[in-house]
Amino acid sequence: MPHVNMLDVGGLRAGYDKLEVLHDVDLRVGEGRLLAVIGANGAGKTTLLRAVSGLIRPTAGRVVLDGRELTGLPPERIAAAGLAHVPENRLVFPSLSVADNLALGGWTRRRTGKGAARRSYILELFPRLAGRLKQPAGTLSGGEQQMVAIGRGLMAEPAVLVLDEPSLGLAPRLVGEIFAALGQLKAEHRLAIVLVEQNARAAFRVADEVVVLDRGRVVTTGTPEDLAADDRVHAAYLGGGYPTAPT
Amino acid sequence: MADLLQLLLAGASVGAVYALTALGFVAVYTVSQVVNLAQGEFAALAGLVAISAVGGGLPLPAVVVLAVGTVVIVAAVMQRLTIAPVKRMTTLLSIILTLGVSTTLKAAMLLIWGAEGRGLTPFGGHDLTVAGVSVQAQQLWILGVTAVVAVAVGWFYERTLAGKALRACAEQPTAARLVGISIARASLLSFVIAGLLGAVAGVLASPIYFSAWDSGLALGLKGFVAATLGGLTSVRGAIAGGLVLGVLESLVAGYVDSGLRDAVAFVVLIAVLVIRPGGVLRQRAAAGI
Ligand SMILES: Nc1ncnc2c1ncn2[C@@H]1O[C@H](COP(=O)(O)OP(=O)(O)OP(=O)(O)O)[C@@H](O)[C@H]1O
Ligand SMILES: [Mg+2]
Repeated sequence: MPHVNMLDVGGLRAGYDKLEVLHDVDLRVGEGRLLAVIGANGAGKTTLLRAVSGLIRPTAGRVVLDGRELTGLPPERIAAAGLAHVPENRLVFPSLSVADNLALGGWTRRRTGKGAARRSYILELFPRLAGRLKQPAGTLSGGEQQMVAIGRGLMAEPAVLVLDEPSLGLAPRLVGEIFAALGQLKAEHRLAIVLVEQNARAAFRVADEVVVLDRGRVVTTGTPEDLAADDRVHAAYLGGGYPTAPT
Repeated sequence: MADLLQLLLAGASVGAVYALTALGFVAVYTVSQVVNLAQGEFAALAGLVAISAVGGGLPLPAVVVLAVGTVVIVAAVMQRLTIAPVKRMTTLLSIILTLGVSTTLKAAMLLIWGAEGRGLTPFGGHDLTVAGVSVQAQQLWILGVTAVVAVAVGWFYERTLAGKALRACAEQPTAARLVGISIARASLLSFVIAGLLGAVAGVLASPIYFSAWDSGLALGLKGFVAATLGGLTSVRGAIAGGLVLGVLESLVAGYVDSGLRDAVAFVVLIAVLVIRPGGVLRQRAAAGI
């Protein structure tokens, strides 16, 4: 089945000062597809998303969103072009209310007059937030803050949503709710999603495709089924090969 | 009793000017961690422009618009030329840069207006005596306009999307950029607000406290102390800090020794830094605006 590539990243190199972290990374995500990126701590997953959303400037390669080249633009321009980055550690605006966090998520679309409709959609997606609109976002639980961060990203009506470890530190039930929402977004809204996760098991359940990142390179690509059947991937990321505790 | 009331009134009136200056520091500092040492010069410049405009025969509303407009443009140009080009701003670097701007503005004002200080004509209205306390009409102007401006500033940060965007930049700059807010524009807007506040302070204060090329030095220092007293990131803290400092100065000058007036700010600053480096009135972290 052919897909329109909403996000097309090719030959991407990026890093910090003189340290190159990403070496020649390629990835593509189609409309209505979810790509999971897994990899060990320090593999460069966060750096990849930062380079895609413009928080750091790639030193080589390209970032193309729906046919439009965005490489090297600042994050505010990339956001306006239709890419929402839900960052590691959520980074909600703590003293601002949930409603204000969402309203600011719609900053690039503030003149469209459709903010109210988008907000009600987000509150249907995350009903937990509905009763907490006036609460300062910093006082919410971690899972609720993650929902605010995702909702804030969605307020911009993005074509591509990239998320950095949304399950980090959350109870399994909330992880389930959040991943179910991601499934709904790609099915109902044809959103292209890049999901960076350490929780490979959870990610495999919602992903259409998986890439494994190791020390700044893509080492394996495939469907979740393919990768789950790969002994090395299984051992390293799905916990199959290692005893969890000495017996 | 009348003595005390008289001192309180004088303190509140000068404190209101400190409060406006302190708000200018807070507006800029929260967005970019820049301590703008030219904040006092904004007020001096507005006062001098206003005096010249009155001399040129303009009516008061036009005088105010001209003075405020000039200072807002100066503040915006200052941000573009000295703050915007810096990739990694630190508070120390900002102090060095804005000290340079402050010195340049002082030199320009000395060249244009000369060394002599002068006062703007009062805005109008009769001075009166209430319960043995003599009240200058200009003091009422200062208190009234400051109250209106303080409410407007609070409304801006708490109710408008642009104000919330500035708070977002202050609290979580990375996330602010990711939702599409330009930090560069936010910083520019914060300087425009600071220029506006400084100009209002300068025009209001000029009839009583005079304007001169170097009058921004003491005002800037006291506004900074007032802002620090309020935690440097809080609108309410800055207003309270300004009023407290003004009243304290007035009481010390009235009951102890008028020569000690200017020492009060230094003592308060040292006390704040020793007791609560985070600010006395600070309640919330980051941006309690
Ligand atoms: N701001 C930074 N400055 C310098 N080096 C950095 C910076 N951020 C990350 N790095 C380095 O880049 C490499 C990749 O880090 P990155 O955060 O992208 O990994 P990650 O895959 O997201 O890891 P984790 O799973 O722990 O979040 C690491 O070696 C890290 O030390
Ligand atoms: Mg990471």
